[in-house]
Amino acid sequence: MLHVDRIRKRFGDLLALDDVSLAVRRGQVVGFLGPNGAGKTTTMRAIMGLISVDGGVVHWDGTPITDAVRRRFGYMPAERGMYPKMRVGEQIQYFARLAGLGAADARAACGEWTDRLGIAARLDDEVQALSSGNQQRVQLAISLVHHPELLVLDEPFSGLDPVAVETMKRVLREQVDAGAAVLFSSHQLDLVADLTDQVVIVESGRVVLDGDVRELRRNSPVRLVRVAYTAPPAPADVPAGWEAEVDGVDATVRVPADVTPAEALATTGRWGDLVSFDFAPPDLSDVFLQSVGR
Amino acid sequence: MTNAATSTLGTIALVMGREVRQRLRSRSFLVTTGLLVLAVLGAGLLNRIVDDDPPTYRYAVAGDAPDGFEDALDAVAAQLDVEFEAVDVAGIDADDPDTVARALDDDELDAVVRIDPGDDMPTGVLVTREEPSAQLVDALDLAWRTTSSLSAATSAGLTGDELEAVLNPPPLAGEVLEPDDDDDPVALLTGFVAAILLFLSISMFGGTVLTGVVEEKSTGVVEVLLAHLRPHQLLIGKVFGITVVALVQFAAAVLAGVVALVLSGRSVPGDVWVALPSSVGWFVGGFVLYSTLFALAGSFVSRQEDAQGAAAPVTAIAFAAYLAVFSLGMEPASTATRIVSLLPPFAPLLMPLRMATGSAGALDVALAAILLVAAVYGMLRLTGAVYGRTMLHRGARLRWREALRIARSRDHG
Repeated sequence: MLHVDRIRKRFGDLLALDDVSLAVRRGQVVGFLGPNGAGKTTTMRAIMGLISVDGGVVHWDGTPITDAVRRRFGYMPAERGMYPKMRVGEQIQYFARLAGLGAADARAACGEWTDRLGIAARLDDEVQALSSGNQQRVQLAISLVHHPELLVLDEPFSGLDPVAVETMKRVLREQVDAGAAVLFSSHQLDLVADLTDQVVIVESGRVVLDGDVRELRRNSPVRLVRVAYTAPPAPADVPAGWEAEVDGVDATVRVPADVTPAEALATTGRWGDLVSFDFAPPDLSDVFLQSVGR
Repeated sequence: MTNAATSTLGTIALVMGREVRQRLRSRSFLVTTGLLVLAVLGAGLLNRIVDDDPPTYRYAVAGDAPDGFEDALDAVAAQLDVEFEAVDVAGIDADDPDTVARALDDDELDAVVRIDPGDDMPTGVLVTREEPSAQLVDALDLAWRTTSSLSAATSAGLTGDELEAVLNPPPLAGEVLEPDDDDDPVALLTGFVAAILLFLSISMFGGTVLTGVVEEKSTGVVEVLLAHLRPHQLLIGKVFGITVVALVQFAAAVLAGVVALVLSGRSVPGDVWVALPSSVGWFVGGFVLYSTLFALAGSFVSRQEDAQGAAAPVTAIAFAAYLAVFSLGMEPASTATRIVSLLPPFAPLLMPLRMATGSAGALDVALAAILLVAAVYGMLRLTGAVYGRTMLHRGARLRWREALRIARSRDHG
């Protein structure tokens, strides 16, 4: 289990990480969300030992992370990195060896992953000769080739074509089913919701939300009411704390969480002739936007 | 998970192995090494062509040559490293200029010695179609004078001993008050060649280290690498890997040099084999020192366009050392040379020269070697400390002063 406990990091005047804590269990996927500059990459770099922290600790299975332990982690940085003039097979095997595999194991693992990711025919090509989609597959193979116990993936979906997105999702699910812990960051909230219910949201170096998406949605202080009318509605006597937005014949109303569906239906029903009515906790993107104060 | 790759040395070996394999296979290495070998071999072959073909002059004598003229000419020719071939031309007559001119043309002669018997002593005239070479004139003139005076002395009735005394006076003996012991041209040449090869390697493979480091930064691969290994392991593996590649090229050049010497029909001077191991030592020390400096400079920038600028101070030091070889190197025994050759950036270029010419005492060599090893160790430590932070620094180029400040701060990867 990965346990990040109140890590702090300051770059000059900027407090990049302010007591960031999070946990990822084996067999669990955690989505790491936050606006640009919130501290996602810095947290991931601290987990991978690329930067030292000013305070706090990062533990794996209850002990501080040594070089040998870290070799069992797989990492994909936001800015992808490979040697452009090195051949695909050599490159994957090189990183496998650096991660501690013997020569024969590295060769076998390279063969296995290039097969699974559909790039077996490109083993002897230089990486720079590959399409960007295939380069992403090589990058993924590099982070997985040593069967890591923890995967730290910074924006793994960015720049992927739809086919590659599906491949990535499938592979991540397989890894989790096999017992790996996965922490990944993304801006594509629908993808996050597809893959996991567990999210951590950071803003300005602080964790602002952490937990199960369904629970977070349930615990949200608002509910969303989406109503459609036969004609443009005229909201009247809007209760305090309600926010109504009219768009043609549709209206979206944010109401406090303690409002019941029946109360919401009664109030919005007075604004016009209803065609449809929907009452639900906010979805992930609403939770996200709300938590980061946007 | 205990296997070779998890140890520090095993990791360094992996990084080295990658560098060696990638560089040995690269087109630029193959081309430069091929050109270097060809240049060395070519110089040897050219030498052989020139050596194999000492000029041969064809000449004829019109009239009666003094006794022993041909033998005397052969003796002189041998000393001048030329050959003379006497041609018998039928019908050549000293009194008939036409026959002389015809002989020059028809028999393809370089010269005709026309001899006028005279009243007391014969006089000779060297006839050529064009301006003769100095060698031709000198050889024929010397042979002519020697044999003329011999026959004149014989006619004058000198005895054999007297003749010997006249013809072979004791040679001018030499006495040098301040003998110069640095005058072995082969030793001096060996020293210069070692310095030139090292400078070439530093220029070329120092550039390889520089662009290699910047490539790792600009492609972002360094972030994946540093998740698996320590910055100093990456640095040492890269520097020593490229050192191996540079040594391979150095060995190819030395081998080509030996082959060239053999082709040109010369033996390899024994001193070369004595100087080679220490030259390799200085080469490795100097190369590692400069490569580490290039790696440090490379870690300051994120784009290849900025690399040369960041490395300019390193290039300048290397060039200063190279110039020192040709200014101070001409006086290997001077105090200035002695002091400068002890400084780590200069020692690898100047010391082989001083050692080859025998002007470096054991103390100087030991001191310079210790200082160089200490400098290499210090630079590797310093660069290793800075590397982890500078390698993840993106954007504007770091200044040397900022990098040193980073080195002093407590955070290092």
